[in-house]
Amino acid sequence: MRQRRTTGLITALWTVLAIVLAGCADTGGGRVEIVVATFGEFGYEPLFTEYERLHPDIHLVGRVSDFDSHHRDLITALAVGRGAADVVAVEEQYLPRMRQVKDKFVDLATYGAGDLRPQWAPWKWEQGLAGPTVLGLGTDMGGLAMCYRRDLFAAAGLPTDRDEVAKLWPTWDGYAATADRFAERSPGAKFVDSAGTIYTAIVNQGEQNYFAKADDSFIGDTNPRIRRAFDVAAGLATRKRTAGVTTFTQPWNVAINQGAFATITCPAWMLAQIKQSGGAAGTGNWDVTSIPEGGGNWGGSFLTVPAQGAHPREAYEVARWLTAPEQQKALFLHDAILPSEPAVYHDPAVLGHTDPYFADAPVGRIFAASSDQVRPNYRGLRDADVRPKFGLALGRVEDGTQSVDAAWEQAVREARETLRWPG
Amino acid sequence: MAGVTSRRLNGAVLLVAPFVLVFAVFGVFPLLYTAWMSVRRWHLIDGDHGFVGLANYARLFADPDFYHALGNTVCILVVATAVQMVLSLWLAVLLDRATRGRALWCSVALLPNVVPAVAVALIFAQLFGRDYGVVNWLLKLVGAGPVNWQAHSWSAYLGVAAMVVWRWTGYNALLCLAAMQTVPRELVEAAQLDGASRWRVFRSVTLPLIRPTVSFTLLMSVVGGLQVFTEPQLFDVAGLSGTGGNDRQFQTVVMYLYEQGFGRWDAGYAATVSWSLFLLCAAFGVVNAFVFRRPRSGAGP
Repeated sequence: MRQRRTTGLITALWTVLAIVLAGCADTGGGRVEIVVATFGEFGYEPLFTEYERLHPDIHLVGRVSDFDSHHRDLITALAVGRGAADVVAVEEQYLPRMRQVKDKFVDLATYGAGDLRPQWAPWKWEQGLAGPTVLGLGTDMGGLAMCYRRDLFAAAGLPTDRDEVAKLWPTWDGYAATADRFAERSPGAKFVDSAGTIYTAIVNQGEQNYFAKADDSFIGDTNPRIRRAFDVAAGLATRKRTAGVTTFTQPWNVAINQGAFATITCPAWMLAQIKQSGGAAGTGNWDVTSIPEGGGNWGGSFLTVPAQGAHPREAYEVARWLTAPEQQKALFLHDAILPSEPAVYHDPAVLGHTDPYFADAPVGRIFAASSDQVRPNYRGLRDADVRPKFGLALGRVEDGTQSVDAAWEQAVREARETLRWPG
Repeated sequence: MAGVTSRRLNGAVLLVAPFVLVFAVFGVFPLLYTAWMSVRRWHLIDGDHGFVGLANYARLFADPDFYHALGNTVCILVVATAVQMVLSLWLAVLLDRATRGRALWCSVALLPNVVPAVAVALIFAQLFGRDYGVVNWLLKLVGAGPVNWQAHSWSAYLGVAAMVVWRWTGYNALLCLAAMQTVPRELVEAAQLDGASRWRVFRSVTLPLIRPTVSFTLLMSVVGGLQVFTEPQLFDVAGLSGTGGNDRQFQTVVMYLYEQGFGRWDAGYAATVSWSLFLLCAAFGVVNAFVFRRPRSGAGP
């Protein structure tokens, strides 16, 4: 009796185990499962359905997280040799370091990616290379504009028409002066989300920032553009024109939703973020106009295929399809994700596109029309080590815990210190 | 006779074998591997770049950021542990006195400990939010100005310590309660007959008798406090990329380890930080064992 009960128990355990294992192994229903990991708003979900319709043997799974978690997950997966998605988006900030470990990625040229080259703006294609290796296929880019709240501008007695608004700030000094005018009339809201976004935009308007393009030496302390960006941004912070919310954090989302600030520098991909945080109720509140002192590029990503995946060919096919011109066009028309391919941003449908959420702003004209002028900024090998030091310094100014000069000096000192050690 | 002893020994070995095996795989091996990494230049993704001797340790001992992180860790630990010990003893006394529904109250006391640290940290970070946080809203009700909790060391220590206290007080209270229930009733009653107040009974009878448990609880909360990570990391609005505020004002040692290993990809240096932390924990364990070795002879009145 006792014997039989034990046997019965063991049988039951085995059955449960078998069911669990079968359940785990069979989620794809016999199809090949390809996991695509992205961060923020790539707008891929509708495209996945379309791809599965075209390729019934593929099951696409999207994995979306925030910027930091996404890249940290990738790094951890590369370090331990497992756990990475089949297709992983990498933002340009992380590219220099990924190039260092390029053998952890599939060389996409082995599947014929080299033939796709003419599709992209030449600089975008080159960013995705590591020597002869094709590390990633370009997705979007981050042409710069300025987003502003029409309702808050009207309340502060400022013009609301986007051409009139652009005339307020031909230069960053004009922008700062507008901030002061805004503050006099509208004490409830701040003028800009944080010193950090203004700083980053100004830095990204230049061709080189922390490291010299010629020899990768550190020039963060001598490059006049960096100091100017720091002074403009810190000036806004000391005069309390910033809401002091860090981009993409929970307080930042809430601040957008509550209308806590009136302007934000808008790389094209920012529009989707604002829409998401602002919600449907925010339709028509925001508008888009040009940024002081011309264009620039802030960010942009690439799709890579980590070498540890089980289905590199299928993964490559997915990455190729997602970055193909038709899909880039669809992504722009739907989510204002700015294409990095000339054929797409010269497309009349793209150029003529307006966005009802942003008061019917001609986003096609604003972003796509200036795309030919977009140039990448040179990112040094140690860029990711140095960059945060200056952001934190601005945070200290914003918190009121340090003067502008002391914050700057500390940032430079910390940058030099971190470069003393191998990275 | 000898046969029986050796058979008994075999049985004992068999019984402890699973633990020893698990401990070897998840305890000893990582410890030794980390020691090995700490004397090498080790890139997180690229792996081993060769032996560097004690260079990582030399760098660590001269690293002001490490000492700064250590200082933060100790401050948070002292605040959190002190509050925790007092609260959990008090809670244990209350639970000990409860005549009805003790099991229910015990479960309630344990609830905060069951909630994952990440969830606790995310919620507390929102409670302590500068613009829309509940704590600042309450402060405003009593007429105090809003506090930018993350911007200053002292306020951030309080915020992080609050999370730790919230998570561990109930758990520690249960440990103390278990010990209190082993205190012989006769001793307590005898003291009461002698006219001792409740406080006097607690201080002179209960406390000396539960001393080993208090010592253990203290050790665990200090070791846990030295390793505190999730709470302060997520208290930083910048999340995973945060370094404990804009000026490292609440960066703990493990956060610094994380920054070095997963932010700068310097796994060798991170291993060095990790080993130094292990030595600190071990040193505290030894001191603790020494101080609380056994109840002083003639304890009690």
